[in-house]
Amino acid sequence: MRLGMVIDLRRCIGCYGCQLSCKAEHGTPPGVFFARVLKSEEGRYPTVRHLFLPVLCNHCDDAPCVEVCPTEASHYAEHGIVDIDQDKCVGCRACMMACPYGNRYFNGERRDYYPGAGPTVYETARTLRHPEGVVMKCNFCRDRLAEGKLPACVANCASTARYFGDLDDPNSQVSTLIKERGGFTLHPEAGTGPNVYYLPP
Amino acid sequence: MTAAECEHQQRLSSEPRAGDDVWIPSACALCYGSCSIQVHRVNGVAIKIEGNPESAVGKGRLCAKGVSGLMVHYDPNRLTKPLRRTNPVKEIGVDPGWKEISWEEALTEIVGHLKRIRAEDPRKLVIQRTTTVTANKNPFQAFAFGFGTPNLSVAGGGLHCGNGAHLISGIMHASWGILPDFQYCNYAMYFGASKGHSAGHASTSNMGMAADARARGMKLVVFDPMCNFAAAKATEWVPLRVGTDAAAALAIGNVIANDLGAIDAPYLKGKTNGPYLIGPDGRYVRDKDGKPLVWDLMAGAARPFDGAAADDMALEGSFEVDGVTCRPSFALLKEHLRQYTPEWAEKITTIPAANLRRIAEEFAREARIGSTIVIEGVTLPYRPVAAIAFRGNQGHRNSVYNFLAVDLLNHLVGAADVVGSCLGFPPVVDGHPDSGRPHYVPVATPDGLMEVGQWMGWHHPYPVEDPKLPKTLGLQGLFPMGMVSPFLDAPDREHWWERFGIEYRPEMLINFGANLLMSIANKDTMAASLAKYEFIVSIDLFLTETSDFVDIVLPDCSYLQSVDSRSNFPTIFSHPAGMGDWSWPIRQPVLPPDGEQRRFADVLLELAERTGFLPDMIAAFNAILELEPPYRLDGGRRYTYEEICDAELKHNFGPERGLEWFRENGVIRWKKKPQEVYWRPFLDVRVPIYWEWMPDIGEKAAALADPRGLEMPLEYYRPLPDWLPCHSHEVEKPGFDFFAFYYRDTLHTNSYTMENAWLDEAAQLDPFSYNVAINAEVARARGLANGDLVEIESDTGRKITGRLRLTECIHPEGLGIAALANHWAKGLPTAMGKGVFFNDLLELDWKRTSPVNLNLDLCVKVKVTRAAE
Repeated sequence: MRLGMVIDLRRCIGCYGCQLSCKAEHGTPPGVFFARVLKSEEGRYPTVRHLFLPVLCNHCDDAPCVEVCPTEASHYAEHGIVDIDQDKCVGCRACMMACPYGNRYFNGERRDYYPGAGPTVYETARTLRHPEGVVMKCNFCRDRLAEGKLPACVANCASTARYFGDLDDPNSQVSTLIKERGGFTLHPEAGTGPNVYYLPP
Repeated sequence: MTAAECEHQQRLSSEPRAGDDVWIPSACALCYGSCSIQVHRVNGVAIKIEGNPESAVGKGRLCAKGVSGLMVHYDPNRLTKPLRRTNPVKEIGVDPGWKEISWEEALTEIVGHLKRIRAEDPRKLVIQRTTTVTANKNPFQAFAFGFGTPNLSVAGGGLHCGNGAHLISGIMHASWGILPDFQYCNYAMYFGASKGHSAGHASTSNMGMAADARARGMKLVVFDPMCNFAAAKATEWVPLRVGTDAAAALAIGNVIANDLGAIDAPYLKGKTNGPYLIGPDGRYVRDKDGKPLVWDLMAGAARPFDGAAADDMALEGSFEVDGVTCRPSFALLKEHLRQYTPEWAEKITTIPAANLRRIAEEFAREARIGSTIVIEGVTLPYRPVAAIAFRGNQGHRNSVYNFLAVDLLNHLVGAADVVGSCLGFPPVVDGHPDSGRPHYVPVATPDGLMEVGQWMGWHHPYPVEDPKLPKTLGLQGLFPMGMVSPFLDAPDREHWWERFGIEYRPEMLINFGANLLMSIANKDTMAASLAKYEFIVSIDLFLTETSDFVDIVLPDCSYLQSVDSRSNFPTIFSHPAGMGDWSWPIRQPVLPPDGEQRRFADVLLELAERTGFLPDMIAAFNAILELEPPYRLDGGRRYTYEEICDAELKHNFGPERGLEWFRENGVIRWKKKPQEVYWRPFLDVRVPIYWEWMPDIGEKAAALADPRGLEMPLEYYRPLPDWLPCHSHEVEKPGFDFFAFYYRDTLHTNSYTMENAWLDEAAQLDPFSYNVAINAEVARARGLANGDLVEIESDTGRKITGRLRLTECIHPEGLGIAALANHWAKGLPTAMGKGVFFNDLLELDWKRTSPVNLNLDLCVKVKVTRAAE
């Protein structure tokens, strides 16, 4: 089984629901969004398109981050999920340099959302779980998967633009969508074998 | 029960137990959409908010704002104690010198003012509330009714609210707003709307339904100066000059009615006043009983509108009735539209005439006039097209015509509340199968025109009362089609109050959650208005810019600490349209109050009791909630708001389904029927394609206003829509060559969410949220670049600053500014200094106000110059 995500750019409206539901799921510190939405424009006024591109860790088959990690903190977990063992991470950030997608974050010293006020009870309960001095990123919500739930960004997407499943199964919804709608990956030239696919807008 | 006991009970009912791990169903309050949520509470801390899949309101998903609600709740800047000012000077940015006081002190002082004012003249009390943190108007409306003041307003007298959208949706669709039937529509046109693109009423449900429609192949054509939310996803973006929607829509209507003759005659005959005969005076020709007449082609004679078969009614031609020459109103509409050629519209809108013609043809063809479809065994008219307008379209002086011109396109082709067409947010509810409640159906007035079955405002949009000498501070009596009024705060209000004989002046303001200084118009006008109050009490989550003018601030509970039996009622407000389920969710506390926070509804009950009008407030609750025995509230009793909620729920759903049942279950749901969703063919009501009453209203208003120096421009009071320019279109000052306009950002709810740390962080990364969108080529030609700090000056000399974002996605004359930003209050440190304060450009005056519905212009002619860094 190789877990992957398909994002339908026709359905996506760039509402940032993924970006913020991811933050809500993981309680990440300031400056960290495992999932993001990028906006771009194509064409010239008035023949122009305003495009939204949600991005996250691509959980690559040949992940350069895993390759360069000196401590084996970045690793392939079950079903092709690329995760970071934060006990092993020494915060060298080689993986951040290696990732062609810029979807990794270094959690340096503690930052609070309300500077000077100390952490809120929410931040104490959620954000401070994330160890400092290590790299962090999307792990396809492994904790949720273990509970039989979909990743938060998929479960919450109000436009139902995100699909999740087994890319090894040719009959899975994700595989079918990629086949039928011409799914593509980002920066295929990097040769990393991403497991996040996009359907054209 | 005393307030202290009540607070104690609130604490107990939501007290988290140590080691608990629960999901609690409730309702969001990051915008008035109030989607259903479930909150994960672990060890007494709310750690996650998700959508509630058991409810049709949101369908288990949430927008970016909804999932970020914990950052409002846990913001350390939340108020926890009542505060009283020590510095008597009320000015912008002058520290009020807050001192913590006890609730007893606060309530005693407030009640002192309330008692005096109620004895003198209760109308001296003004109540202003936000719609953001709760859409439920009832607690404040019951308080105002009970106290005896008609001066109740909602935040953003101009900018926030949709006087035009609500009024016209009410008259034409019995609803608060309109949207396409996403499940069946094939071709939708949007004018200044973003339904289905993360905004407003039924926001989350609509996102999914709109995406399904897009995947199914629904074409979406968006008329908008900016290509952002809906336009970004459209099949076609049609950029137009700011505020010229009516011109585009009228030209499309002309092509449909005159060039193509693509009208749904049976619909117009049976469901509109299209066949009603109009005399030379522009009024209905009536029989001796006063009934409007139609021409019966079979009988060759005039008949009352309900005395002939619809099929036999003439829509065109000229007839003689008792010596009076008259014509069906449809004939007048058709002839009226003839003047609006696409070439004429091109000059006003900048949209090429050929595009308007093509779009009209596409819309008319796709309307499939005459076709039917079977839904769940019921044969229904099938008109899979919709012309939709909202906030941007009607936020102009020409508010009424801008919206009506768009909606008439639906009625020409019969695409109103049938399968695939323009739908209102659902106005027809047969009720839960067990109880038959809630039950709401629009009804016919004596002239055959429709009156809404449920409504949010003070008066139904139709029938329209005669204008009368105003008694309220907003002068609403003069404007029976108006809602929130700029006159409440206008700089010349004293002049008009005097002229119109308003015999009292505002002395006390109770503000609930609104940041008035920023949410209506420029801050100086608002400051002058607020400084005049003798006493202001404000129930708030935070100290805001408005707090600088407040005497006593009361700490409110957040939505996660509050209870409400109707988080999504009426259904015309935030319930999704189309087939599916009805849901009645509640809001319930997940967490106890912090410090001395109290729920506003209980504070109002306490104030009413102490002031001595609790029985009146209870009577108002009975009337508003339509409670009947055994659930009718007893005027002699002191209720908590929870008890009132319990009574309402049992009244609607039976004794076993009170608040306790809803706390457990969160929501009750049942199936919608096709006859409810597509109600138009089943109800014997008509809607006006010819607004016959308008000239009368205009003349009567003018008769009162003109002699008092308020010139009533009658060209806004005609039965058929026209394109009339905004003030901004008439400014010819050299150098003032952009139309700055306001739009609602997907990440923010007006100014409220600017303090939300997660949303602020995301907005800082967005190219547009905090910047000024300007056409790239135009900017470059002036040597302006991305990130440049510019000064934006209005034609009246008001200035704001902001950073430019060059984009291909905006009309060359437009300047797009999102939301209400750039806060400066110390109580909102996250929001401070972020974004652009558009409203500071707005004047609050008659020249920029719709003379019919009091909507304020959201466009301003401006000059853009580089500012010093």
